[in-house]
Amino acid sequence: MADTKKVTFRVQRGETVQGQYASRVEEFEVEYGRSTTVLQALEGIKADQDGSLTFRRSCCASICGSCGMVINNRSRLACKTKVRELVEGIPEKNLQGSDVIEIAPQKNQPVIKDLAVDISEFYQKVDKIDPYVQEGKEADKQVTKSSFEQVNMVSNCIMCGCCYSDCTEMVESPDFLGPAALAKAFRFVADPREGHKTERLQELSEKNGIWDCTRCGMCVDACPKDVAPMEAITKLRTRAMEAGVTDNPGARHAIAFKNDIAKGGMLNEPMLLLKTLGVAGAVGQLGNALHLAKKGKIPSIFPHKVDDVHEVESIFKELDANPIEVETKQEDTGPGAG
Amino acid sequence: MAKKALNYAYYPGCAAKQIQKEADWSARAISEKMGITLHDMPKATCCGAGNLQEHDPAAGLAVCARIFSQAEEMGMDICTICNTCLQTFTFANERLKNEPELLEKINAVLSKAGVRPYMGTIDVKHLIWVMVDDLGIEEVKKHVEKPLNGLKVAPFYGCHALRPYEVFNGRGGQSPQYLDTIIGAIGGESVDYNGKDKCCGFHTMLVQEDTFLKMSGGHSLEAKREGAEIMVSPCTLCDMALGAYQARSEKYLGQKIDLPEMSISQLVGTAFGLDHKKLGFNRLHQNPEKVFKSRGVA
Repeated sequence: MADTKKVTFRVQRGETVQGQYASRVEEFEVEYGRSTTVLQALEGIKADQDGSLTFRRSCCASICGSCGMVINNRSRLACKTKVRELVEGIPEKNLQGSDVIEIAPQKNQPVIKDLAVDISEFYQKVDKIDPYVQEGKEADKQVTKSSFEQVNMVSNCIMCGCCYSDCTEMVESPDFLGPAALAKAFRFVADPREGHKTERLQELSEKNGIWDCTRCGMCVDACPKDVAPMEAITKLRTRAMEAGVTDNPGARHAIAFKNDIAKGGMLNEPMLLLKTLGVAGAVGQLGNALHLAKKGKIPSIFPHKVDDVHEVESIFKELDANPIEVETKQEDTGPGAG
Repeated sequence: MAKKALNYAYYPGCAAKQIQKEADWSARAISEKMGITLHDMPKATCCGAGNLQEHDPAAGLAVCARIFSQAEEMGMDICTICNTCLQTFTFANERLKNEPELLEKINAVLSKAGVRPYMGTIDVKHLIWVMVDDLGIEEVKKHVEKPLNGLKVAPFYGCHALRPYEVFNGRGGQSPQYLDTIIGAIGGESVDYNGKDKCCGFHTMLVQEDTFLKMSGGHSLEAKREGAEIMVSPCTLCDMALGAYQARSEKYLGQKIDLPEMSISQLVGTAFGLDHKKLGFNRLHQNPEKVFKSRGVA
């Protein structure tokens, strides 16, 4: 191979024996050319240096979703990630180059061996949202092509688990359904043929569902197929509130903003707390409030009113009278598009 | 060459106007020192913080467009000190600039409400972007009177100035540098730790307090383990989560953290030799004075 260079792969290896995970880091020197992928480099290590290195792979074309792993601290598909880009950096992603490529198994899941993790919980959560269209009274009989502009994006999911691995909520709250399962749930809520849209939104609004997402955006960056799970979660929240599923702190919190903005312009933070949690919940916040009060951090219940706030009220009135459609759409870009 | 006049429509956000006033005070103080002029926006409302945008997406866009129109009328870009305001605005601005039909629809609503339409010409920036990209880090260095003498500072970037990277035009992304650049310029040493570009948990504070306290406390503990003497953030909401709520995390985790946390503007102000009272040190829950004294930054 002309034009090849060398780089160090630092691979986190290990296995779980009787429930106990033991890991070690091993270094391999790897030759790479212009188009060498991380997966090809790992195949090279397995062929020439250490045949016991374990990882999943199949299609080598970012379709099967098998080779998701943590590469330089982010979950990526090994077959879609070029070694050269990691070494040189990717300016448009503001990713700086790196002398060493660090490889580790996906996070938020138990490791079986080396880079292969146990994906059963990930699949159980997808299963939990009933990933199929159900018959029922909310099913539309007619399906237009444009109705799929909502679900196209989410249909691209290849279940690689990269979003699940990088999810910050999952780290502290392992029962959270997670970005992939929620994105999949949106695919069915947005499908005109689905018969139980409201029931789905009710279930998704419960604990470990749509309102537990931190909106950190890690899943959007992690997804190799541009599914943007966080955007799907946001849309589920919108649809849940539209369907009247509002008896939960997340929805009450979101709804409180509009009134505050229309009335005075700024948030009324003490009232926001009360509206979100109710009286009993707000009393439960007394410890936090007293703590904040020590440093004068208790906002006024009469926040400053901004100038010309009546304009905002007029805007909201106009939108109530003549609603406009602003939802983002995605054309079908997948295989078989057009 | 004559220096470019640096004028911005200043949008501190609801938190800085109420609970995190010290972030506002210190941002104004350091900007004045650097010759960055922050102009108030008396008509600006809350941005909606993503919450209005979830509840009523059209209203969310219109509220942002009304604020952008004010800045446009002032002939300035917006400068903010809250990451969530930054991201909410950036999401809206990105769409309004790239979807002409949407802009037209939103402008029709603004016009009916007697609001000047938005022409799609402004940019929304964080103060730390303004300092590095518009003013230049060499200019920042000129104002340092009390360098931090190698103080170990943990930068906490905050999700909403980083992701999704596509909307921030190379200013967000996976290798953030703004805070590190500024910390280095004022004589500090950046501490690298896994949590620096993760989530403070603020947006789930009211929905699931235990997860939030574990998340925020965990980042502070990790930074401290990596040698941090102080933590800074460019976001008023991260400040609240990691600073004001730190003792609540300690109580929940049953573990002392004791890592002073402050807004990046307060740290820059300290290096500029500004009065600590003016920078709002008395409103911080962990007193940073001991740490500064130990490094001879009195």
